[in-house]
Amino acid sequence: MRRNHIVIAIMMITVLVLLVVREATAQTAPLAGESMLEQVMKRGTLRVGMSTFVPWAMQDKSGNFVGFEIDVASRLAKEIGVKTEFIPTKWSGIIPALLTGKFDIIIGGMGIRPERNLKVNFSIPYDHTGMSIVAHKKLAAGFKKIADFNRANVSIAARTGTTAAAAAQQWMPKAKLRLFDDESQAIQELLLGRVHAVVASAPLPAFQAIANQDKLFLPLQEDFTREPIGFAIRKGDSDSLNFLDNWIRVVEAEGWLKERKHYWFGTKEWEKLIK
Amino acid sequence: MKNKIRFTPLDAVLIVLMLAAVLFLVRRIGVEMNYRWQWPVMLQYLVRTGGGAWAAGSLAQGFLTTVKLSFWATALATLLGTIMGLMRVSHSLFYRLVAGSYVELVRNLPPLVLVFIVYFFIGDRIMALLGMEALIRSASPETQAALNFLFASPARLSGFFAGLATLVLYEAAYITEIVRAGIQSIEQGQWEAAHALGLSRWQQLRCVILPQALQRVLPTLAGQLISTIKDSAIVSVISIPELTFQGLELMSATYLTFEIWITITALYFLLTFTVSMGVRRLEGAMQTKS
Repeated sequence: MRRNHIVIAIMMITVLVLLVVREATAQTAPLAGESMLEQVMKRGTLRVGMSTFVPWAMQDKSGNFVGFEIDVASRLAKEIGVKTEFIPTKWSGIIPALLTGKFDIIIGGMGIRPERNLKVNFSIPYDHTGMSIVAHKKLAAGFKKIADFNRANVSIAARTGTTAAAAAQQWMPKAKLRLFDDESQAIQELLLGRVHAVVASAPLPAFQAIANQDKLFLPLQEDFTREPIGFAIRKGDSDSLNFLDNWIRVVEAEGWLKERKHYWFGTKEWEKLIK
Repeated sequence: MKNKIRFTPLDAVLIVLMLAAVLFLVRRIGVEMNYRWQWPVMLQYLVRTGGGAWAAGSLAQGFLTTVKLSFWATALATLLGTIMGLMRVSHSLFYRLVAGSYVELVRNLPPLVLVFIVYFFIGDRIMALLGMEALIRSASPETQAALNFLFASPARLSGFFAGLATLVLYEAAYITEIVRAGIQSIEQGQWEAAHALGLSRWQQLRCVILPQALQRVLPTLAGQLISTIKDSAIVSVISIPELTFQGLELMSATYLTFEIWITITALYFLLTFTVSMGVRRLEGAMQTKS
């Protein structure tokens, strides 16, 4: 009996020591041979972290992922010569998931922000987006500019952890900000008339205003912010970053990014894939 | 002897009232909140008929994952819970302390916190240590297909295991207590009689105590099984494509909030109610036997 305990204790200590050693070795910065890119090529799959944002990335009827970001990620993987694997992750936990190695890269319309950049490395922007507002016709009747929304008796909804939430806070600090886990909940809240407006990346507000013309409208004709969008990878991996930056330069020069962007944001042809 | 169920006027009144309440609710949502119901499109998320063949839509896939998750979680949690439960009543202080600390630690944490801890810290490190990822990827197509059938697609496997581990850890803590209570509910005389027959402690447990304890705890154990199905919704936060997660994804793509939540509710109820009926049958059978 006593011996058993000693054996168990030794086993536990060994496991702990192994974990610590592994942790310590994992801390060293990757060399070119162990960069994300090399690992992806060795594995044969690029694991992409993303989150559902219409029309950036979403599931179609058969459960396949479609969207602007999906096109970008698929082409990127094709040119590395590997398969893609999409890992849908809640937006609020997407950076920790990248850091703990659940996937190799975030391709999910992530806006480049200084506070995010402290935790991850960004590629050069491959896209730009802006924040836009969709408001309730009755509640926000007559609202025409940002200042109309910046009042204590106005409540604004946005998605947790997005740049939309940050923008709402920055531009409408007096308004009450209510956060939801995804846009559909925020829009639902707006349709129910419990908030005055929803702040989200364009073109979602415009799409919603068209889909619910009887209840919603666009108070501002233009986006009120402009944000660069980049790929996010773990820090200290200049080899992969160099590849990504130059890949973006190439596809941008080709005009491919613009063409894809027009398809997903300028047309609604893709809608039959979803419903 | 069972009383025959008779349909009385009161039943008719109750049914009409309930239908009226449902209709009122639907009307309120439809008219006063101006919600446009789009039920016909929901069907394709359950069953698709693309290309002549039938295939599971995204909600049906989520439902299957929930079933798999609940099945494995129950099986493994029962195993772990039984071992821990036996340790709880062991003569050795060491075993009692190990099982006791486990139960107290897990039962006093919110399951949501546990999910994140396992997913981000423990699961990841242990999976990396075992080299699971590389092992799965290098496995033969047949093995991968088998894994896909039993658990999840190779790509989602490490997430699936993290979720499964959390559920097992969480549910097993309750099962431990159920098993402990079952064993302790057996009268001292049974132990003494078994001892007097010259049985070793293990034999006493296996041949005398456990069969009786099992019969007593079966209803509670079955209740825990239903709890496991319900608790499995919590792993949606770590992006395991089970029913709740698939529903949330679908909602953010289609904005059919009410239709999807109602469908999810119906599917969960279908699953738990079936299990619950099965358990009632089992209990009935056990009672007639004893």
